[in-house]
Amino acid sequence: MATTACFIIVSRNDIPIYEAEVGSAAKREDAAQLHQFILHAALDIVQDIAWTTSAMFLKAIDRFNDLVVSVYVTAVFCRYISYNLIFSLTTSLHTRLMLLHDSRNDDGIKSFFQEVHELYIKVLLNPLYLPGSRIASSHFDTKVRALARKYL
Amino acid sequence: MDPANTPLGKMLLDEITPVVMVLSTPLVEEASLKNHLSFVQMLSPFCSFNNIDVPVRTASDQPYRLQKFKLRLFSASDIRLPNLEVAKERLKHFISQAGDKDDMFSDPPQISNLLASSESEIQPSWFQFFNKELVRTVSFSEHEAFDHPVACLLVVSSKDEQPINRFIDLFNTDKLPSLLNDGAMDPKILKHYLLVHDNQDGSPEKAAKILTEMKSTFGSNECQLLCINSSHDGPVERQDNPWAPYESDVSPSQCVGCFLNVDDSNEIKDLMQDLSSKHIIPYMEQKIRFLNQQVSATRKGFRNQIKNLWWRKGKEDAVDSPDGPMYTFSSIESQIRVLGDYAFMLRDYELALSNYRLISTDYKLDKAWKRYAGVQEMMGLTFFMLDQSRKEAEYCMENAFNTYLKIGSLSQQNATRCGLWWVEMLKTRDQYKEAAVVYFRLCSEEPLHSAVFLEQASYCYLLSKPPMLRKFGFHLVLSGDRYKKCDQIKHAIRTYRSSVSVFKGIMWGHIKDNVHFRIGQWYAILGMDDLAVKHMLEVLACSHQPKTTQELFLRDFLQIVQKTGKTFKVLKLQLPQVNISSLNVVFEDHRTYASPAAATVRESLWQSLEEDIIPSLSNVRTNWLDLQSKLIPKNYKESNVCVAGEAVKVDIEFKNPLQIPISISRVSLICELSAGSDDASSSTVELQNDDDFKNLITNRDMSSDNVSFTLSEVDVFLGGAETTVVQLTVTPKVEGVLQIIGVRWKLSSSVDGFHNFESNHMKKKNAKGRRKSKHSRSDNLKFIVIKSLPKLEGFIHSVPEKVYAGDLQRLVLELRNQSEFAVKNLKMKVSHPRFLNIGNQKNLNSEFPACLERKTNSDPSCVGDGSSSLSQNVFLFPEDTLIQEGTPLLWPVWLWAAIPGDINLYITVYYEMADISRGMRFRTLRMHFNLQVVQSLDLSFQISPSPSRLHEFLVRMDVVNKTSSESFQVHQLSSVGCQWEISLLQPVDTIFPSQSLMAGQSLSCFFMLKSRRKSLISEDKISTLSPVLGSDVGLGPEDSKRPLFDVSSSPLADFHHYERLHQEMSHQGDPNAVDFILISRPLTSGDSETPHLFSHHACHCRQVPYQNLGF
Repeated sequence: MATTACFIIVSRNDIPIYEAEVGSAAKREDAAQLHQFILHAALDIVQDIAWTTSAMFLKAIDRFNDLVVSVYVTAVFCRYISYNLIFSLTTSLHTRLMLLHDSRNDDGIKSFFQEVHELYIKVLLNPLYLPGSRIASSHFDTKVRALARKYL
Repeated sequence: MDPANTPLGKMLLDEITPVVMVLSTPLVEEASLKNHLSFVQMLSPFCSFNNIDVPVRTASDQPYRLQKFKLRLFSASDIRLPNLEVAKERLKHFISQAGDKDDMFSDPPQISNLLASSESEIQPSWFQFFNKELVRTVSFSEHEAFDHPVACLLVVSSKDEQPINRFIDLFNTDKLPSLLNDGAMDPKILKHYLLVHDNQDGSPEKAAKILTEMKSTFGSNECQLLCINSSHDGPVERQDNPWAPYESDVSPSQCVGCFLNVDDSNEIKDLMQDLSSKHIIPYMEQKIRFLNQQVSATRKGFRNQIKNLWWRKGKEDAVDSPDGPMYTFSSIESQIRVLGDYAFMLRDYELALSNYRLISTDYKLDKAWKRYAGVQEMMGLTFFMLDQSRKEAEYCMENAFNTYLKIGSLSQQNATRCGLWWVEMLKTRDQYKEAAVVYFRLCSEEPLHSAVFLEQASYCYLLSKPPMLRKFGFHLVLSGDRYKKCDQIKHAIRTYRSSVSVFKGIMWGHIKDNVHFRIGQWYAILGMDDLAVKHMLEVLACSHQPKTTQELFLRDFLQIVQKTGKTFKVLKLQLPQVNISSLNVVFEDHRTYASPAAATVRESLWQSLEEDIIPSLSNVRTNWLDLQSKLIPKNYKESNVCVAGEAVKVDIEFKNPLQIPISISRVSLICELSAGSDDASSSTVELQNDDDFKNLITNRDMSSDNVSFTLSEVDVFLGGAETTVVQLTVTPKVEGVLQIIGVRWKLSSSVDGFHNFESNHMKKKNAKGRRKSKHSRSDNLKFIVIKSLPKLEGFIHSVPEKVYAGDLQRLVLELRNQSEFAVKNLKMKVSHPRFLNIGNQKNLNSEFPACLERKTNSDPSCVGDGSSSLSQNVFLFPEDTLIQEGTPLLWPVWLWAAIPGDINLYITVYYEMADISRGMRFRTLRMHFNLQVVQSLDLSFQISPSPSRLHEFLVRMDVVNKTSSESFQVHQLSSVGCQWEISLLQPVDTIFPSQSLMAGQSLSCFFMLKSRRKSLISEDKISTLSPVLGSDVGLGPEDSKRPLFDVSSSPLADFHHYERLHQEMSHQGDPNAVDFILISRPLTSGDSETPHLFSHHACHCRQVPYQNLGF
């Protein structure tokens, strides 16, 4: 069955720093636009919910027709904890991993998020990576796509 | 908050009110049409009462008073289900009209303004009307009783023949609505008889007579007389016309209600009030009472409930049609519904609710889904009006909505109405987010309605607390797409434009591009090309899009532009992108450059080089700026100076953001030259903003006075994602003030791109020593153009790019002067005298390397010759050197590659104008060369004392050829200084059997060094002054007998001098140190045209301390 899945990592400034169409459905011209629109709009909901729950995995918080948005809100990542705790708190608060999907495989999605989060942390640990900038690493991309095939 | 005062409450009090069916004869209509009104229209404005104050009793005899009341009047022909297609058509027309009213040119509202304003200001006002119309499309359904007429108003004109019979006929015709005929409602309704008399037809006496007759026939209470058109003297002027809403139906010249004077309207008012308070309300009250008893008798009580349940269970096998079983007016179910609706209309919500609850379960059991949904809907509304149990209310609405949807497309309209009420309910409770979701669910196959709903949903998101702007934008876009599907382009543009402010500045590329591209496309469809182009420009530089999309964007953009046939001038065109920080201006004032490479060298480097040779800065001012200050205003002293006829070069980087290649043509600078300097300050361009810039461009195109300067034009082809640096030049021709404003280019013959250099910091090349920080960028791009000056061009012939270390070459420096004015007083300085030495004029024509050979009649005077130029560091050309047009000056220079590496050589030539009145007294020519020096021979010496003689030493020389391919022939070894004498220890043939040193080969040989110190102690001072006086050992093949080279003459001596200085060590002046020079020639040099000579210098070689000798 062809599935749709669009995965985006959104930095704290609401800038997408990584985008990937990881679904198996044939690519359509306007799909990318629509997916961006849906995910962008879902940020409003995330904003609402993120303050009310301590859970990282927010399951199916928004939907558009048969497409569902699930979000994984990352915890505070203390990269600079050694010399500036306050700075670290404000810099990497709430990076959001967002997945637009039409499948109902909740466990798979959760595992996918957790593993991608680990990958993302590895990217952050790279001293040459500036937090909040676009993730251009092809290694990261390959890994994410592999995870998508495995779990989604 | 009183539910009745909320928008939904008001709506319900407006829409769910008793209906009065009006049956009138054609003559009645004729009389009322004199006022351009139908009879119903004439009465309608007087049907709502704000303060009617009628006492009512509930079914359980609780008294209360009705204040607000409204009747809805419909002529009998309108009491039927509205035609859906007609309604749709009407709505479409209405929406198109609303779209046409929109102002397409004004700027879309900013998001901050939107957030600050209230709901009514944000939303287009026609939404409410649209919603109301949609609600009305499901009027007079048989499953609801509140649209069923409560009373019937029979109207006959006094002009009618046999009016009494007409009254009877009116109700008996087959034209009665189907609701009454097919048994959905009780045909025995309240009847009221009205006789209309047109006062224009004569006195009302005849009418009065008919009225008495009527009263005797129908009963005195039920009959009334209405006189209209009492205004005899022309149309009546009214301040606030109650019929104003109907004006749109007629042409504006006709006055609505023109024959109705104040008496008439008062009479109508009284009539309606009377009808409501004395007839309809009491009638309804009575009916409620009667029905309540009926219901109590059959359905209330435990026994009845059991019976009911039992009876209904038996009907389970009933047909499962969507409408459920048919209920006639006499069935108890219909009666309960009527009771509920009547109670609702008379505001007895408790009673209404209990009845709705009762009937709801019945319908559910009967699977009469539509009726069930209708009752659920009313339950929800009743809960709302009671302001109880919000959850329950919402649950009922949702249940009703879902049930309507479940039935199928036939009930879509009902679902819509239910949804609209639900939305209003949520809005009243500030649940805007939920309201938006309901609006979204309202979207059906009908795209136009969906579009309006989505737009309303978007505003709900905007109004929710906190505002959900992204959702707002998204739903606007969704709505816009639907509008476009229905060809409502103006609405589509309106919604999209509103969303622009939300999406401004976000980094989600697809969203931004989609919005601007669609707006651009749609504007183009409407033929508003300027706006179309404006939005299209936003998406041109879409580097993140796939290639096909980029092609699409570019193609559409060019199509639109071509369609207009105009040439668009686009400020800050993004295709290609101009990298302002790469801006690099090269101009020549008194500093001129021989090559572009020279211009890129750091200014400080040149300054340190020129320190000695140019007059000091204060001198400069007294010499030529004083002269300038007479010509140029004082505030321009700080400006840059350039010379008429000499090009100012600007390097700027263009980047193609797309993956598809683009070609731009006619890239050139935009400049402004105000000729003359009388009033320069006013004529210089002060660009305050982009508009000024645009004006300037337009003006410039009009006036073709490009005579004062010439611009270079370049065509550039940029491949996908390519970056190119373009050099543009402007050559001023007359004196004045030149300002470089920006750059322009042409994209595909009809788009002019512009970019001004204002507003950004700039990397300025020729910054002089003075402070630059206080100058704005425009100052940096402003030049004072002075009279044309002679300018020297200089180059060195055949400078090698790659040489071996130790290579000695003679090069020729050529200086040309293109101007007709001569230059004089030439001076020259070289940055690395270790590498480059200025020769003698007489070297020029002599043969190389023969000129270096030791002359047989060598006289020591040449030594002094060399040292004179060394001491000064600056080379002065002979006093009489004068370079004129057409006669280049040739001068020899010596190049010696001292050490391996990448060597930058700088030469500066100073010259003065022969004609002092030219504005500048002197200029400098700066030359720069780059030289790659690779390793050749590696030389080392070891000196040990001779075991036998005190003043003799044994010298061991180790030579390694470190090149990869070159072979060398060792020619001679010289010791420098008079105090040493070197001689061979063995014959040459035994040392160098092969006569040459192949690549990679190493060689050691021994020499005898003899100190002449003793004999020369008295001449010690001389020797330090002229150290280059040594002894040589020829190492070449014995037979060739080639002459030895003179290491004590220029240039070898000069190079040795610098080499010595360079290799100087701490034990300077150690008398025991000795310098050696090894001269060799490449083996292959015989073939090449220019003969090569290699010299390797080893300075300060000392005797090895004994302990290290290993004895």
